[in-house]
Amino acid sequence: MFDVKALLDEIKASPFRKIIITAPHTGRVNFTSVQPGERVTGPQGLWKEKPGTLLATLDRERNPKPILALEKGELETLYLDLEGCFVEAGTPLAVVRHYMTRTEVQNELLKKTLHLFTAPERAKYYFTPEIDKKVRASGSQSVTVHEGMELFIMSRMKREVPLHYAGPTGAIYTVYVEPSASTDAGQPLIGVCPPDQLTAIQEAVMQVQTEWKEEA
Amino acid sequence: MDTSVEKRIHTLRERLAYIEDIFAGKHGEDIDLLQDRLKTFEERARAGAMGDPHTEIGGIEDLFGFVERRLEDNITPMDKVRIVRHPQRICLRDILENVYDNFTEVGGQDEHSLDPSMLIARAVIARRRGKKMHVQSVMVIGQEKGHGADFRNGGSVKPWGNAKALQYMRVAETEGIPIHTYIFTPGSYPIEDYPGAAQQIARNIYGMANLRVPVVTVISEGGSGGAEAIGLADKRLMLSHGYYSVISPEGAAAIEGRLKAGERATPELIEHCATSLSITAQDNLKFGYIDRVVQEPPLGARPNHFDFFRQLRQEMLRATDEVVLSTRRLSFYKRIALRRLRRPDVNLDDLYIRWGLSSQAKSRLVEKRQQKFLRLSRSACRDRRPFFTKVSQAFSDVLMRPYNHLKYDLYRRHRRKMAAMVEEIDTEWELFKSRLFSPFRALCKALPGNRGAAAEDKSAELMALSTWTGDARRRKWNYISPRYKIDRTITCPNATTYGCLDLWGPDLFAEFAGVCSYCGYHFPMEPEWYVRNVFDEGSVYEFNSEIEAGNPLHFPNFSDRVEKAQKTTGAKSGCMTFEARIDNIKVVVAMLMGTFRGGSVGAAEGQKFVEAAERAAKKRYPFLAYVHGTAGIRIQEGTHGVIQMPRCTVAVRRYIESGGLYMVLYDTNSFAGPVASFLGCSPYQFAVRSSNIGFAGPGVIKETTGMDIPPKYHRSYRALSRGHIQAIWDRPQIRGNIKQALLTIGGRNLYYR
Amino acid sequence: MSQDFAITDHKVLVANRGEIAMRIMRACHKLGVAFTAIYTAADAASGHVRLAQEIGGEKSLYRVSSYHDANELMAVADDALCTALHPGYGFFAEDYRFARRVTKRERRMIFIGPSWKIIRELGDKINTKRLARSLEVPTVPGSDRPVYDEMEAERIARTVFEFQLQQGIKHPLVLVKASAGGGGMGIEEVYDIDNFRSVYRRIRNYAMRQFKDEGVLIEQRITDFNHLEVQIVSDRSGKQPVHFGTRNCSIQSTGLQKRVEVAPGFSSRDLSYSFDADKVLDDIVAYSLTMARKVGYDNVGTWEWIVTRDGSPFLMEVNTRIQVENGVSARISRVRDNADVDLLAEQIRIGLGEPLGYSQEDIATEGVGIEYRLIAEDPDNRFTPWSGSIEQFHWKEQPWLKVHTHVPTDMVYEIPSDFDPNLALAIIWGKDLEEARQRGVSFLDDLCLTGKSATGEPLKSNINFLRANTERILRF
Repeated sequence: MFDVKALLDEIKASPFRKIIITAPHTGRVNFTSVQPGERVTGPQGLWKEKPGTLLATLDRERNPKPILALEKGELETLYLDLEGCFVEAGTPLAVVRHYMTRTEVQNELLKKTLHLFTAPERAKYYFTPEIDKKVRASGSQSVTVHEGMELFIMSRMKREVPLHYAGPTGAIYTVYVEPSASTDAGQPLIGVCPPDQLTAIQEAVMQVQTEWKEEA
Repeated sequence: MDTSVEKRIHTLRERLAYIEDIFAGKHGEDIDLLQDRLKTFEERARAGAMGDPHTEIGGIEDLFGFVERRLEDNITPMDKVRIVRHPQRICLRDILENVYDNFTEVGGQDEHSLDPSMLIARAVIARRRGKKMHVQSVMVIGQEKGHGADFRNGGSVKPWGNAKALQYMRVAETEGIPIHTYIFTPGSYPIEDYPGAAQQIARNIYGMANLRVPVVTVISEGGSGGAEAIGLADKRLMLSHGYYSVISPEGAAAIEGRLKAGERATPELIEHCATSLSITAQDNLKFGYIDRVVQEPPLGARPNHFDFFRQLRQEMLRATDEVVLSTRRLSFYKRIALRRLRRPDVNLDDLYIRWGLSSQAKSRLVEKRQQKFLRLSRSACRDRRPFFTKVSQAFSDVLMRPYNHLKYDLYRRHRRKMAAMVEEIDTEWELFKSRLFSPFRALCKALPGNRGAAAEDKSAELMALSTWTGDARRRKWNYISPRYKIDRTITCPNATTYGCLDLWGPDLFAEFAGVCSYCGYHFPMEPEWYVRNVFDEGSVYEFNSEIEAGNPLHFPNFSDRVEKAQKTTGAKSGCMTFEARIDNIKVVVAMLMGTFRGGSVGAAEGQKFVEAAERAAKKRYPFLAYVHGTAGIRIQEGTHGVIQMPRCTVAVRRYIESGGLYMVLYDTNSFAGPVASFLGCSPYQFAVRSSNIGFAGPGVIKETTGMDIPPKYHRSYRALSRGHIQAIWDRPQIRGNIKQALLTIGGRNLYYR
Repeated sequence: MSQDFAITDHKVLVANRGEIAMRIMRACHKLGVAFTAIYTAADAASGHVRLAQEIGGEKSLYRVSSYHDANELMAVADDALCTALHPGYGFFAEDYRFARRVTKRERRMIFIGPSWKIIRELGDKINTKRLARSLEVPTVPGSDRPVYDEMEAERIARTVFEFQLQQGIKHPLVLVKASAGGGGMGIEEVYDIDNFRSVYRRIRNYAMRQFKDEGVLIEQRITDFNHLEVQIVSDRSGKQPVHFGTRNCSIQSTGLQKRVEVAPGFSSRDLSYSFDADKVLDDIVAYSLTMARKVGYDNVGTWEWIVTRDGSPFLMEVNTRIQVENGVSARISRVRDNADVDLLAEQIRIGLGEPLGYSQEDIATEGVGIEYRLIAEDPDNRFTPWSGSIEQFHWKEQPWLKVHTHVPTDMVYEIPSDFDPNLALAIIWGKDLEEARQRGVSFLDDLCLTGKSATGEPLKSNINFLRANTERILRF
């Protein structure tokens, strides 16, 4: 079985992740009063209904849009020289140094322990309607996948083709794919947990729960 | 020390604590004096330094009484609010034990109840006439605060608690016994779980509007919607230290002070609001919203005020007897009985009046109750209709009634019979004709020349331009929002979920009718949009526009705000009533406009609504309530606003029972009182997509229940799942859907039974 | 605005990608008009980005979040101070709302394409059909307004069936389609009148759900036909539309996407037809011009026709934009004996307000043009798109050959997965059909195109499909 301790130590050695916040589209940037070095927060509340710290506004066609921090952390860099400039889509605006949360560590762990079913090529992926219904109704873990099962619809170049599952039989433990965005080839779509490993994985998750203090 | 002295000291200490509580830091000198005297007495008594403690404590009790009476004279409305909220305040169980001779709790017991904050009991009162005992039954229904017991939830009733109340009102109706309701509620528990706070209160009010048994209500703490849920009564009494209000003074202060969630209003502002809202029994008696004030002992009734309970018993008997007698026809006997009832020294326990009613008397009872509510609050709005208009209208009413009866009830029925007969004859003739000509037709078909002609015909039909008229062709709006002129983009609130791109304002507010072209989210539009685009062009005829919203309570600074709203919207009140046509089907429409002070309902809006319902009934038109938006009852009008809940519901009920089709369409945000009464009672309610429907907003829910409300808690699709509304419509389809509803729900040619 | 300054004072936003963006940029360059190009992160390696860097001036390239986001285009146009916008084909080319926004916003620009009212009028298939019928232009037999009533729908369907039987069609078919639909959605065939009602209800419910409109169109489904086009060009006056001949686009993929386009539409000189081919071509040109004149058509556009085996033409639709295959018509055209015809340059020129400057008599055609669409796809497997990297891509230059591509020929290029895997357009000219066909085959034979997918499989392309179909060009 996987060495949970070693993984945790590895993450503890560098528990930070740099998050680069880029302009989602073109527009004129105006930064707020937040300064580099300050703490910022991500979305909060029971339903993540409270937005994160406002870093800047991006004004396009007289519609100023908030640029918000997506995770909590320290504001490492703010590209203040862009103040008042028209920027292209994808221009970096800020960098947030983010301390890994328990859930993220848990996800790291799961990515290493679960069987990952990956995207064969860059495309958009979504569940077939029957699976989707089941996932929505009773959660992904209620779905058991097996070799050859028609699981996803792969959408690329305006064509949709079914994608069959390959790998061990088990329940879908986590879903990585986002239906609205393209997934690169080799990126995981789902993590599958074979039934005989379920207890081991749950124990490992428990271990992270107790050892990792930082919450979202 | 003597235990009886000990007990009396304890009672005095409680009285002192009570005074301290209800005055919240005021009258410190008086309190210090009492405290001082009580303390010295206590010390001396313990030291045994007194000859006759019983006499001395009597002196202190007198002093307490003296001070209490003096404080009573300076009592403010906010003090009364603190009195009714105090755990020492009498509660419904005290009343059941002391006013009635015996009772059985029904629909649950103590904490083992569907909703312990709603108490229901079958109670009896024994009366004597001569030697004979008569035991009279009543159904007692009311909120129970339980002297602060947690499980009673402070008398804040959940939707199912109100449903239980309605259920037992129906039981009382079946059994033919009077109902006594006691209102001890700060307001209903504002959650939307089935059946939904607003929806259930609406059902209760609608149900009470024609309960066929006498209903007597006593108000101690009358908090808005929660009070109305059991408050539509033939006689409404109010305790002298109670309050009856549209909103708690704190709530009003939060709105007045424009506070955000979590912020607190200053005590001065709350006190000011309590006074401005005119919430006391004396105020409401003056307005006519209650019939009598029951005097309480100084600083309010507490469980040991047995004289008060005796007095309350007399008042309840008198009120019930009066209601019963008022339905009797025999005026001579009635007059004698009433005169006797009204003598101040009469002991009603020695008088017996049967509470059962004949069927006709029940109908008179209901009619009287409905008329009573329809008459209320008429003077609280400014009616600028010229005198002549009013008189001529009243005159034409008198004339039109028999005419309409003739036209719709007699003529239509006979015409239908005639039409059926003609149809039958027609069918017979066709049959005869076809038999007669069938040999010829067969011959014609056999001829070859005819076939060629038919082929020509076909290709012409399939290849040539056809004529096309009708609604579908006209893809233009008669009215577009002025916001279309601004060259900017707008972000859809669902953009993160559905990936909607920014919408260009001129497209969104003109061609798209305010609907996001990616996800279908509906941005709010102006009321004019509906008036011009839903109804036939040029068919809108507004009436009663001269009834104007005012400031009946002279609420400070409010007249200016009303004027400002009138100036910016160009309307005189938040309710526009008009006649219009949809594809030539005539309808009467009452529209609550969210742009006029949030679409709140006050006396003027209520009056217009009532008159619209009456007009629809008179003209036999369907009645449509289009709610562009309503924030609730206009709090600055106090009970003038609240009373519109039962009042308009009565009007709606009368309309529906006379055979009318009443439909409600909600848009943007519809909350509180109106939804919990005259809108929510419609059997056919619909909503425009992306609208919110509910009882109280998230901020109020958080404050009253402490619960966090998930986003989209009030979205119309949840109201749909709960069974509150029947369907959700897209804005561009409103016209078609209303037409379809009129055709399918209404009758064949009249939309009116 | 256009009256005040010469076209060289304009700056055009090239609101498209790939091959067409490059052709627009070159045309602008040729006319001396400045331009600004856009690209997305996925398209950074595309040839159009490189071309913009090479021949563009100041503020000539911007990265945007999406080609589909009109707001991005407006913001970039404002920042780059563009005065006009060329939509290319696809994306916003036939979006009348977009065209309206361009011309009605506060900082107005010229939309290089027909005016938005014309796009709206001809973009609505019911409207187009009714316009055609009002001018006695033949259209597909069937309804020309949305049908809402089930009884009426069935009556029309019955008539369409009977009509086809009278025409001697053995297996008549009726098409039921949502009148508000488009792009092949909400269309179903009926081969038996007894099935009609269930199909009708299905389509009606689908239309209600999808388009909020229950209206349904009922038409004859024509199965055996050739797909022809008429290229129309008209300046802003809208008074003197001219045509640049016809094209035949009958060689298509199973998904009904064009793969080979040929100009002219038929060649009665080289082949024999069961009907009077020249008359059919003359008729559809005349009909197209009639309609263009009626609406005051004021830019380039294409009238699409279907011609049945017995030589009856029916108007299908009008494409109010420049088309992919415009080059093949330009290739065989001569304006006052000048062979260097560039329809894109003409479109920009007249779009910016210049008069056309010549009339129909000045336009002649010569020879036969063939356009191949080179696409990374698998024709044997329902034309499934192939994705991966192009490693080698080159061909032998010829005087009779022109290749338009955004795929760099000097480096490995990964095909972006967000778009169709179109690689290049090859336009071949011959003095007659035979020569054009021979040259076409020799081009395909000499072409070198290799690549690998992420899993190491070799590139799949439609070269063999194109070669095999060259034989049946212009045959009915």
